[in-house]
Amino acid sequence: MIVATRKPFTEIKDLVSGHRKILIVGCGTCVSVCLAGGEIEVSILASQLRIALGLEGDDVQIDEAIVERQCNREFLVLLGKKKNMTDYDVIVSMACGAGVQLLGDVYDQKPVVPALNTVFIGIEEGPGIWAERCQSCGNCVLGETGDICPITMCPKGLLNGPCSGSRHGRCEVNPEIECAWVKIYDRLAARGDLERISKVLPPRKNSRRAHPAVATHEAYKRRFVKDEKIV
Amino acid sequence: MTKDELSTEIKYPPCKLACPILTDVREYIQLIAERRFEEALASIRNLNPLPRVCGRICTHPCEAACKRGQVDEPIAIPALKRFAADGPWKGRYKAIMPDKSTGQKVAVVGSGPAGLAAAHDLALLGHHVTIFEALPVLGGMLRVGVPAYRLPKNVVDEEIQAILDLGVEVKTGVRIGEEIKLTDLSEQGYKAVFVAIGAHKDRKLGIAGEDGFEGVVSAVSFLKAVNQGENPKVGKKVAVIGGGNTAVDSARCLLRMGAETVHMVYRRSRDEMPAAKEEIEEAIHEGVQVSYLTSPVEIFGEDGNVSALRCIKNELGEPDVSGRRIPKSVPGSEFTIDVDMVIAAIGQAPDSSFLDNELTERDKRIYVEDPYALMTTHPGVFAGGDAVTGPATVVEAISAGKRAGISIDLYLRGEPLPTTEQMEAVETAKLSPALIEKTRKFARCSKISLPAEARLKGFDEVDAVLSEDLATKEALRCLHCFLGARIDKEKCISCLTCVRVCPLGIPTTTKMGEIAIDPFACQACGMCVLECPVRAIDISLDPHSKIAREIEWAISRSQQVEPVIVGFFDLHGNFRSSDVESLRQDYPNILPVMVFGLRRVDTSDILKAFEFGADGVLLAGCPSDTDPFPETADRVKRRMAHARTMLEALGIDGARLEVCDMPDEGLVEKELIDGLIQRIKGPGQAR
Ligand SMILES: Cc1cc2nc3c(=O)[nH]c(=O)nc-3n(C[C@H](O)[C@H](O)[C@H](O)COP(=O)(O)OP(=O)(O)OC[C@H]3O[C@@H](n4cnc5c(N)ncnc54)[C@H](O)[C@@H]3O)c2cc1C
Ligand code: SF4
Ligand code: SF4
Ligand code: SF4
Ligand code: SF4
Repeated sequence: MIVATRKPFTEIKDLVSGHRKILIVGCGTCVSVCLAGGEIEVSILASQLRIALGLEGDDVQIDEAIVERQCNREFLVLLGKKKNMTDYDVIVSMACGAGVQLLGDVYDQKPVVPALNTVFIGIEEGPGIWAERCQSCGNCVLGETGDICPITMCPKGLLNGPCSGSRHGRCEVNPEIECAWVKIYDRLAARGDLERISKVLPPRKNSRRAHPAVATHEAYKRRFVKDEKIV
Repeated sequence: MTKDELSTEIKYPPCKLACPILTDVREYIQLIAERRFEEALASIRNLNPLPRVCGRICTHPCEAACKRGQVDEPIAIPALKRFAADGPWKGRYKAIMPDKSTGQKVAVVGSGPAGLAAAHDLALLGHHVTIFEALPVLGGMLRVGVPAYRLPKNVVDEEIQAILDLGVEVKTGVRIGEEIKLTDLSEQGYKAVFVAIGAHKDRKLGIAGEDGFEGVVSAVSFLKAVNQGENPKVGKKVAVIGGGNTAVDSARCLLRMGAETVHMVYRRSRDEMPAAKEEIEEAIHEGVQVSYLTSPVEIFGEDGNVSALRCIKNELGEPDVSGRRIPKSVPGSEFTIDVDMVIAAIGQAPDSSFLDNELTERDKRIYVEDPYALMTTHPGVFAGGDAVTGPATVVEAISAGKRAGISIDLYLRGEPLPTTEQMEAVETAKLSPALIEKTRKFARCSKISLPAEARLKGFDEVDAVLSEDLATKEALRCLHCFLGARIDKEKCISCLTCVRVCPLGIPTTTKMGEIAIDPFACQACGMCVLECPVRAIDISLDPHSKIAREIEWAISRSQQVEPVIVGFFDLHGNFRSSDVESLRQDYPNILPVMVFGLRRVDTSDILKAFEFGADGVLLAGCPSDTDPFPETADRVKRRMAHARTMLEALGIDGARLEVCDMPDEGLVEKELIDGLIQRIKGPGQAR
């Protein structure tokens, strides 16, 4: 899941400064789950803005909305049916960066600004705690590494580790964290699959990671793409 | 209504479902917990015209059904009812009178609880009601059966007066069937009659010597004489035969009237004894001796007076149709007790000699066509209470009176009568051992009773009413059945937050990955409601919308006394309604919002308060020993820290948000409020 955190209030305030009619749009999927951009967070930000701008004597109108997923056009079109989008001077998106951009595409007459910093793809580690687990590298190696991602979990992103900086199972870059390669070793050993660690992984194919990337499902290729070579 | 329909749709709490008149026990208990005592009384009184009577002597089936009973001990429901009904606010209840009279005359025969309840409801429906009562006093068994030490007579009189004040007429000393026959009533213009004559005729013992000697007395006539101040003659050594409330009350009266030994003789064992458990205990505590598994065989006499009672021991055999085991005498186990008086209390039947074959009888009881509609074989004549069921309870009699009220009203308007709507007894669902383990236990309030020696000096009431402190504490033990969390499946994104935060582990994931909350198990703590990031959860106890509304309302009402402070106070604290009053007087700038736990206040609520114009927010949580969910306290503290950060980001001093624990007694420490006010006003300004 995509994990995001809320931007500091002053930054958001600067982004909307000078505008009087503001719409805050939350996203009901990933960022709701990670407690950054759901209904409650929208209402907290709205209150904060009302108080802050009110203190400055501005007569502002701040409205709140929530959409199912900001990364789907249909839901954003639906938003336009509930709110008169031309009414607003600025739209604050509380989705991940992808959501912010699609909102901007759909309502391109208005400035759309982010209220979150999108931080990573990760998992829930405990109530309210999220941890990064994947860098969407486009070339998944987990099958060779005991399901532990060296690109994410090793600060150096080494594909063939550990390096000589591994000390007592800790990482030299940050002794607070465990060495990813020691963990990979331990897990493979526990599974009786230690052979695998002597295999040298080839250098990363960065071509797979051409930006901006597009992913098309096999079964959809013909319907949307003329030239089948485009991947 | 079937059991299934009830359990899926109405979701009555067990206490309400168990009550024959469906008293909303949960509602008035909640109102007591909120220190809204007058409203608690109104909640009871709207359904029950005799709350002070029921608060003392109701057999409280509600209590046996109470969910808390599975955790430790059930809520002391009658004690709470009595508290609500007996308080100094009792005179302030006003019934809603009908706009105009229907002009229809209805006769009620008998002024026991059944007759009184029918008269009350019919009067409120605009009918003209006359009660005919054979005795010179009103109240039936409440007045002439139940002794004053359990039910003081002024209580009965006051409740009856309130019913008469609705415009109900009474004719005492008129035994229907004598000068006035049942048939005469219709000639006198009564369009319908409710026969509620009770069951006052004691059954005979059917043993030798019963009719031969002075000193063999029927319990009902004895109690009637005692209750009417006739000071009947009492023996020194008395045997009371029977095991019901009438027997126990006769025994306890005898002790108060000078009997030296009182011996109850009951044919089955203690477990089968029909009298209320508490009553049996009280009687034994006062000195009554009980011989279980014993039957009388013969009464002996000397000089025309009773001198001894011969008894035989029993053992229990096979169960009879009622499920109670039949006692069988043990040959050769006879023994004799010396007595000079024998009281027979082995059951009563209605005295229907007056009926003149106008009404049908079955099993010595008046027969009604339908136990819900209560019409007899005679059109326009309805019957209910003990006269129909045989000796039962006050609340069942009230229930019959209320049903008769409905039926008679429909009958007078020419509409069809309701058909049987017997509620099956629904057993309270079982809680899982894990949930019982996790539920915090709180001791049930103990009753305050007169010591035994003081009791025997007279007929003073034995049990005292609860103090405000004890009553609110007891009310706060309620687990708020079916007032808890409900998930809006459309909104839920299965984020699992509720699963993580619930202190009782109620939300679970279904096979389909949806989240489910068992509405009976949930205790409405409110934790999940505010933590759900998409607000998919609503709750009936203190819903979030209510708290948001109260904040807005409180601020809109503020009398411009600065600084405006919204104060959230946890109802679980040890404070009284007067503490809230004095807070309002001493600090008109503090706008109190009372909540069932600070768990219900969200960061967004605190920001809202400031947004609406508050200068500060005070949150006072209950002391941890009174908190039913202490494990949530940490989460609440963190939430407040978050709110403080959010405020500081706006340049508002985080110290304007004060979070504190309530003192052991009272609402909040004065110094704390003064400190907060000081901080808000800034340095150098005195209050
Ligand atoms: C000693 C004792 C203790 C009890 N303790 C409890 C208890 O703790 N809890 C509980 O729930 N229940 C208790 N009960 C039972 C309860 O009192 C009765 O179930 C209830 O009073 C029945 O109400 P009712 O209106 O049907 O009849 P009653 O209360 O018996 O009233 C009938 C009235 O009709 C009058 N009447 C009879 N014939 C005529 C006529 N022909 N014309 C005019 N008037 C007539 C009678 O004088 C009487 O006033 C007790 C009963 C007794 C006797
Ligand atoms: S917009 Fe971003 S946060 Fe919202 S659903 Fe799409 S990916 Fe998740
Ligand atoms: S816990 Fe409260 S609501 Fe539930 S049965 Fe007992 S009194 Fe009624
Ligand atoms: S917290 Fe809300 S959204 Fe999350 S699983 Fe529970 S009900 Fe669903
Ligand atoms: S209201 Fe409380 S007890 Fe009920 S499900 Fe939510 S967190 Fe659990």
